[in-house]
Parts: sequence; C-alpha cells; structure tokens
Amino acid sequence: MNIIEMKSIKKDYPLGETVVHALRGIDLDVEEGGFISIIGPSGSGKTTLLNIIGCIDIPSAGSVKIGGEEITSLDDRRLTNIRLFKVGFIFQTFNLIPVLNLLENVEFPLLLMKEGGLTKGEIRKRAQKCIEEVGLGSFMDHRPAELSGGQRQRVAIARALVTKPQIVLADEPTANLDSETGATILSLMKHLNETEKTTFVFSTHDSDVLKYASQVIKIRDGHIIDIDGPGAAKKMKKKAGPAKRGTR
Amino acid sequence: MALILKIAWRNIQRHRGKSLVVGIIIFLGAMTMTIGNGVIAGMDRGLKENVIDRFTGDVVIISAKQDQDNVIFTPMGRDIEVIPGYEKVKKVLEGKKFIDRFLPVAKGLTIILNENGDMSYALALGVRFDEYRKMFSDSTDLVEGTLLKNDDRGILVSTGNRKRFFEEQNFWVIPEGFSFNEKNFMKESSKKSGVIDKRTSLVLMGGSNENSTMDIRVDVKGVMKFKHLDDFWNHFNIMDIESFREVYQYVTASDTAAVIPKEKKRILEKDNLDDLFGGEVLEKVETRKQGYDVSTLMGKKVVQKKLDVDSGAYNLIFVKLGKGADAEESVLELNAAFKSSGAEARAIIWRDAVGQIADLSAIMRGATRGFVFLIFIVAIIIIMNTLSMAALERVSEIGMMRAVGAHKSFISGMFLSEMTVISIIFGCAGIIAGIVSVYILNAINITTENRILELLFGGSVFRPVLGIFDILKGFAYLALVTLIATAYPLRVARRITPLDAIMRD
Repeated sequence: MNIIEMKSIKKDYPLGETVVHALRGIDLDVEEGGFISIIGPSGSGKTTLLNIIGCIDIPSAGSVKIGGEEITSLDDRRLTNIRLFKVGFIFQTFNLIPVLNLLENVEFPLLLMKEGGLTKGEIRKRAQKCIEEVGLGSFMDHRPAELSGGQRQRVAIARALVTKPQIVLADEPTANLDSETGATILSLMKHLNETEKTTFVFSTHDSDVLKYASQVIKIRDGHIIDIDGPGAAKKMKKKAGPAKRGTR
Repeated sequence: MALILKIAWRNIQRHRGKSLVVGIIIFLGAMTMTIGNGVIAGMDRGLKENVIDRFTGDVVIISAKQDQDNVIFTPMGRDIEVIPGYEKVKKVLEGKKFIDRFLPVAKGLTIILNENGDMSYALALGVRFDEYRKMFSDSTDLVEGTLLKNDDRGILVSTGNRKRFFEEQNFWVIPEGFSFNEKNFMKESSKKSGVIDKRTSLVLMGGSNENSTMDIRVDVKGVMKFKHLDDFWNHFNIMDIESFREVYQYVTASDTAAVIPKEKKRILEKDNLDDLFGGEVLEKVETRKQGYDVSTLMGKKVVQKKLDVDSGAYNLIFVKLGKGADAEESVLELNAAFKSSGAEARAIIWRDAVGQIADLSAIMRGATRGFVFLIFIVAIIIIMNTLSMAALERVSEIGMMRAVGAHKSFISGMFLSEMTVISIIFGCAGIIAGIVSVYILNAINITTENRILELLFGGSVFRPVLGIFDILKGFAYLALVTLIATAYPLRVARRITPLDAIMRD
C-alpha cells in the first residue's frame, strides 16, 4: 500500500522578479515501511520535497496524498493535525524546545494530541520507553543544552517516533554529526524501521548513508533523475512500481 | 494548559532580560496609572465636596429665560434673569422625593461706592443666612465679627473682597461693633503701612445693566473666608436677601411705595450721587485725616424704575439631591415637571452653572487623563516592540513546535500566558505601589494656594483617593494593556510557520 502518492508536483518560489522552480514535476509513490533516501546536490529540491510530504509546505501544482488523504486543499488546522498524527520530523539542527528537559521534549507531541486518549501516566511511560530505545535513559532530566549533538539528534528521533507516526521525515539527519555518531543514528533509524515498520524518508549528502536505504531517489534541478538502491533497492523499485524517474 | 504555563514560565526565566524590561515598564505604567486614577478620583471628590456640597448643590435652577447656563461667574458680572413665580417652582421642588434640600438665592454684581468717586466690584449672594448654613453648613469660616441671622440686615464680606477694597479704595472693612484686628490686617493686606481708613458699612449699588438699581448702605456684620476653593468663591460677599432685593430692586411697585418713606423720596428727587457722601459720611478713625457721618444715608436711591418682578424674587435655586440620585436624570425630570406645571424655570447641572471652574477642572482632569493615557500608549509600544523582537528571535522554537503538531492556538496561549504572568507579577506590584503612593501622598498633606493646582487637587489640599472601583479599574486597564500590547507580537508569532524555522536554520 502506498503511504505517499505524489503526482506532477511543482513548487515555485518567487524571488524578486524571478521565480525559482524548486520542483518541476515530481511523480513519486512510496510504499509503507520503506527506508527511502533522497539524494542530490544542494538546491536540487530534496528539502522542498520532504517539506511537501511533511505538510510543512504546499505545492504550487500537483497532487499529494498522505495515507490516502489529499493534502493540497487542506487548511492550516488539518495540515497541523496530519503533522501531529501521521508524520514525525527529524531536523538537521535537532530543534528541541530549549526550556524543556529531554523527557518533556519527547512527551511534547503526545501532550498536544488531546484526542490521543492517553493518560499522563501512559504518556510518560511511552516517552520513557522511546528515550530508552535511543539509549538516553540516564539523561531524561537533562536540558538540550546539556546534551551533545548526537544525543540531541537521538532525542529528536525519540520525539519523532513517540506518536507512532506512519512516516518519519528526516532532513539530513547526520549532517551536523561526526561519522561515528551519524552511523549510530542511522543504525537506530534502520532498526526502528524494521521493528516498528515505520516508513522513513530522509534526505542526505552522505554516500555512507546509502547502504542503509531500501530505495535511493536521485534528484537534480527539481526532477527525479533516478531511482536506485543497494540490495533491496531493486526489489523496492519493482515493488514500489510507481516510484519512477522525473517526468520532465 | 499546564504544558503551556510550564513552557511560558520557563521562557520568562530563560529570557530574563526581556522579561524584566517588559515587567519594569508594566510596573511603572501600573503605578503611574493607579496614582493618576487616585488624583482624578481625588479631584472628583474634591470638586464634589467643595463645589457641590459647599456652594452650588448638584443641580441649579435658573429662569427659563436665562440664555446662558454659566450663571455663577457670568462674564463681566452680567445679570442673570430672575426666576418668575418662585412659589410655583418651589412647589415642584418640594414634590420631588429625590431632592434632599434646596436653597433659593439672589446673585448679582454689586458696585461698592466711595465718596471720592472710586468704586470696586464684588459679587453678592442674597440669602436667608440660617437657611444658607443649613444647606452649606461647612463652607465658611468666620474671621471677624458675627454671622448673619435670618432677620438681620447686613453683609458678610469675604477676606478676598476686603483685600481688594483696600487695594482699590484704601479702606479696610471691619465688622460693626468690633475693633480693628491688626493681626488679620497684617496677614491679609498687601500694603502694610500708611493711613488706614476703617469702615463698618458699605455703600452698595446693584451692578445691573438691565434693571434699575438702588444704592444702600449695609452694615458689615462679619468677615468670612470660604474654607475651600476660596480663590474662586472669595469674589462673593453674602448678604441678607432683603438688602439684596433693595439693591437690585427685586420688589413690586407696591412694595417700592411701601419701603420708601417721604423724607427719602425728597432726597431721591435730587437724584444727586454727591449727596450720598456729603457732610459727615464716614466714620472718623485715628489713622484718617477726614471723617464722615454715615448715619443718614441708608436707603438713599440713585435711580428708581419700576420692575415687574415679584417680592419673592430669586434668580438661582441651589438643589442638593438625595443619596443615590443621578444629577442628569434629576435635571431631566425637573425640567419635565417645570414644563408640565407651567413654572418658568430650568434645571441645569452644577458644572454648567459654574462654567469656568468646571471647564478648568475638566481641562485639568483631561490633562491628567491624557498623561495617564500617554503612559499607557508608551508602555504598549515598548512592550509590543520588545515582544515582537522576542517572537522573531524564537522563530526556530516556534516553527519547530508548529512542525511537530502545535496549533496556532497553542502558540497564542503560550505567548499570552507569558505576558499574563509578567503582567500579574509586575502589574500587581505596580498597582500596590500606586496604592501605597496614594496613601503616602495623602499623609504628606500637600497644600496649595495656586488656583490651577486647587482645581487639580479639587481643593487646597492634595487628597488623591482610591476606592475599590478605582483599583478594579486599574486591573482592567492592566488587562487591556496586556491584551493590546500582546496582540501584534501574537500575530507575528502565529504567522511563524515550520518553513520559517527551516529556512532560518
């Protein structure tokens, strides 16, 4: 089943008197449970693509369905709800709430889910479990400023996963980390992908990251120029079928 | 809500510098606002006590023919119309339960004549003095002499007028039967040496442009000082109503015939002002070179014309309302009653009657309110600016919150909570400091003799006052400042999108 369906996606940004065409017509389908890597040079449109999938940005043209729901016509409130209930985010620069400690940061999206039906105790329990899974069980009452970059990124992963989203989007999650920490983070994401069956879509510049991906989408100048991947990639491509080269 | 408050409180602590700047502005604004409210409330109370309770009452009744409402301090002492058919008006007033009491008076400008041709002017209130004291029991202090009784003929001269007479005509008024009080003279007079003429009576002429008048000699029974706003009221002497009516010829033709005896008529036929002061007109005193015999001059008439006003003539009625009665509603009701009963009278609010005093007071109040409002605006602008900057500095944090699913309402709640907490802490401290300041200002007992400051103070003593309503008003203003000052930064914060956060990174 496709968790993401994108058809003829275009995204233009006006820049003074000119228009920057960030995406020039993207068709992409992603099956549930995938571990998808989007690669490409700077300015190729990776982040824009992720932002549209994550309902952070809306396309100038085309159709996007997340979990079968068309998002291009939704208002801010419903887009926010999709981000809250269906999507988890891991940002390049960690982006934790500085005034909350590690445990509170992870609890944060659960506390926003008023209709989640969880009690305070259940919320705490689930957050603690996620933190332990990312190996930070002994840092729960630390503030973000007291953690290293790798630790903060792991908190961001825990926060992205705590709501059990259908999709986790990660924009260059290892860009600000040393290679060893980056590898640890990727291993963790892959492990969660395999155990929780969560779909991961991440952008990267890092060629080491590719070995973890079940599918690699190469993007340049706003077009998908290739879909490939080591091992499972071909199988994924075949299975993922609709994921195809850029249409233009 | 707990999450919002938690984040808000920790953000306040995290951004201590900005929180302190905003807090101090709120503190100062709330304190100034509270003191300002105290001053305005004190001014209102002062005006009520010193004008309404001691001079005019809440409502003033004037003739229906009177064109201008400013009847107490008419320009150039211009006459005010006599209220025709007082009995009819009185009946209406007696029938209104919302009226506590009322006092009919005659008010006009009198010319103080002198044998050498000099003259002074003074306003006079003609009253039945016992009734006046019942109505305005606490308005005057007796400085010398005695007070009037209902049947007395005579005049109470204000210290202000005594000083003016001395400066303009070189005579010093002392009450009949009392000796010269040197202490008061040294205190009141600007000229401390030289020859002092002393007089125990005044020759008054009605200063009317429209009616005929009579000049009469009236004994000075006492010298008095108005307890409050004396700078304004001391233009008035208080005299018995009968003498006033004689001066102003508020009598019918038959009355005139009755009150002018034959020998006086002979004098009238001469129609010569010099006769009034001829011979021994004035009392001889040790400091004067010349003396006069005044014994024959009472009741001499300079001009005589017949008037068509009745013997119960008054031109003002001061009305005090009962507790809880609204002045404006009472005016409406009285005017309707006058109309339906055919009484040719009109009710006006006290502030319309006192004209300049109310106007000046309104300007002073307006200026005070303007100052408070300015503080209000400056505080709002500074807070708004500081919070807007804070919102823009927190784009990453707010954008990230939005990215992980926080609705705009959450961001609004967070910002409002931060501002509310700061407002409650610093605003309440400011209001408490304002209340304490008002009490201290009261305790210091600041006094003034400056006319303008007297209006600001509502009297000669600065008595700012804060009732529970004023304090609640302070809290309401504080809430308003918080809301207005937060509105724009809130808009800025609500507009921050996850994309803004990503682009900033």
